[in-house]
Amino acid sequence: MRIVIAEDDALLREGLALLLRAESLDVVATTDGPDTFLAAVDEHKPDVAIVDVRMPPTHTDEGIVAAVEARRRLPGLAVLVLSAYVEQAFATDLLAGGAAGLGYLLKERVGRVEQFLEALHRVADGGTAVDPEVVGLLLARNRPDDALARLSPRERDVLALMAEGLGNTAIAERLVVTEGAVHKHIRSIFAKLDLAPDDRADRRVTAVLRYLRQ
Amino acid sequence: MIVDALRRRVYAAVDTLERLVGGLGTAVLALALMVWVGVVAVTSLAGVGLVLAPSAARGVRAVADRERARLSRWGPEIIGPEPLRPGLRAWRDPVVWRELAWVAEHATLGFAISIFGLTIPLAAVQDVTYPLWWWTVSPNSAPGLVFWSVHSQLDALGVALYGLAWLVVGIFVGPLLVRTQAWAGRRLLAPPPGTDLSLRIVELTATRAAALDAHAAELRRIERSLHDGAQNRLVAVSVLLGAARRAVARDPADAGELLDRAQEAAEQALAELRTVVRGILPPVLDGRGLDGALAGLAADCVVPCRLDVDLPRRCAVSVEATAYFVVAESLTNVTKHSGATAVQVTARMEDQTLKLTIEDNGRGGADESGGSGITGIRRRVEAYDGTLTLTSPAGGPTTMRVELPCGL
Repeated sequence: MRIVIAEDDALLREGLALLLRAESLDVVATTDGPDTFLAAVDEHKPDVAIVDVRMPPTHTDEGIVAAVEARRRLPGLAVLVLSAYVEQAFATDLLAGGAAGLGYLLKERVGRVEQFLEALHRVADGGTAVDPEVVGLLLARNRPDDALARLSPRERDVLALMAEGLGNTAIAERLVVTEGAVHKHIRSIFAKLDLAPDDRADRRVTAVLRYLRQ
Repeated sequence: MIVDALRRRVYAAVDTLERLVGGLGTAVLALALMVWVGVVAVTSLAGVGLVLAPSAARGVRAVADRERARLSRWGPEIIGPEPLRPGLRAWRDPVVWRELAWVAEHATLGFAISIFGLTIPLAAVQDVTYPLWWWTVSPNSAPGLVFWSVHSQLDALGVALYGLAWLVVGIFVGPLLVRTQAWAGRRLLAPPPGTDLSLRIVELTATRAAALDAHAAELRRIERSLHDGAQNRLVAVSVLLGAARRAVARDPADAGELLDRAQEAAEQALAELRTVVRGILPPVLDGRGLDGALAGLAADCVVPCRLDVDLPRRCAVSVEATAYFVVAESLTNVTKHSGATAVQVTARMEDQTLKLTIEDNGRGGADESGGSGITGIRRRVEAYDGTLTLTSPAGGPTTMRVELPCGL
């Protein structure tokens, strides 16, 4: 897996590269701003980009803009955005063009190396990785008349993990239940959200998007 | 009821006395100023005095402001005029001429009123107590306001009755005198009728908006320094620790290096947190003021630091906090980077501006882009509408000058 890193903080950039190289991943370039990042993407054609949201010159959302631009230049590029704090608008901007091959994680998740690597691989394989914090924020919001309110706490847990981008097996592991139990919860979620079984392929995504967009 | 009425009378009398004394204070100032203005006016005919004319205008404004404050304490507030125009143009402002008219009035009539008003109670007290001590003085002398000579105890008792009469007169006439004295000030020092106060409002609105902007800029600066500094360092700690955990399983030798780095990053995070916290509002400022706080910094500085602070009054707290931050950061820089053997810190107040100079005899070559903390200082100073100039040729010396509007 060929990786380009864009992060303006030198220590963090080197730390990240060190970590990934120690895991025998191929970090082809480390960059400290949106322009150098895009140049590196053009040059190296990486599989995955790891991008910090706040970068020079204005330190607001350069990372998001650069990530969107990089995906325009190199379709299929997987992008994992790292942010110091949860900003739902950023997540929404990023996911506006579809969630495949995209991730949005808080920076400190990198310290949980196994989960970070798992998220990285998932994104590289065209999956999604959304930070539990983002998911939690959406969950915490008050929406009394929503179909989502009918979900049981356990079903919400399952849906939240689905939203993070996890597959059934991974969900079962996290919740320490059998895969069969996870299947049962998911069927119940589909029923409560009135998702008909005939468009089976989309139901999972629809449920998650409904959940995220609320 | 009679007691109440009496008490009110006594309070009113004490108030009256206090106001007459205050009026005398500004009247003496006005008198001195009249002399000065006279000198300046006469010498101006020869041209020499023109150099002094702006200072005379400033003097007039200072005394007038004092009277405004005094009258505002005893009645409706008198709103001050716009700041003086610089140099000779100050005299083109009609407000200054009105103030000068008041100075002339207050130096003469106002002065006389205060003297007369204060003579009455003093003389009355003298007269009332005269029977007790008349025999100690020579027969040809007489106490206050007595225009005849006293020869016997009976005469002395007469004087006491006479004094009592003056006391009553004083109680009733005193407030009238005070009002007369204040009248001219209230007429001449208030904004001239027809003056458009909207200008003043515009000015106040602008300064208020600037203050709010400075506040927002300050919050943004704190957020930035927390994000760029401590937060990123801590994330790095977490990343390095995560990597170290993985490394332990593979090769413990690698883990040692990673842990070293993690610890280094944690220490950096702490140092940066300290800087941010110190920059917000150092508690020492409250207790000891800016000069005391700077003295503490100078004493703690590893490089011998000479301090020369002359600040006649205090600035806005946020400005003092900024000044403290500037000096603290510069001394840290001097210690860390300059190799200097001496550093001099100067703080002065000139024209509502706090001027700081930090000069060392080190190797110079300080570079703002070198991440030496100068960027942080500049950001902070500019948030307060201040300026920073740095001269640091290779080989030294390094001088940093910071000017901050006082905000008061």
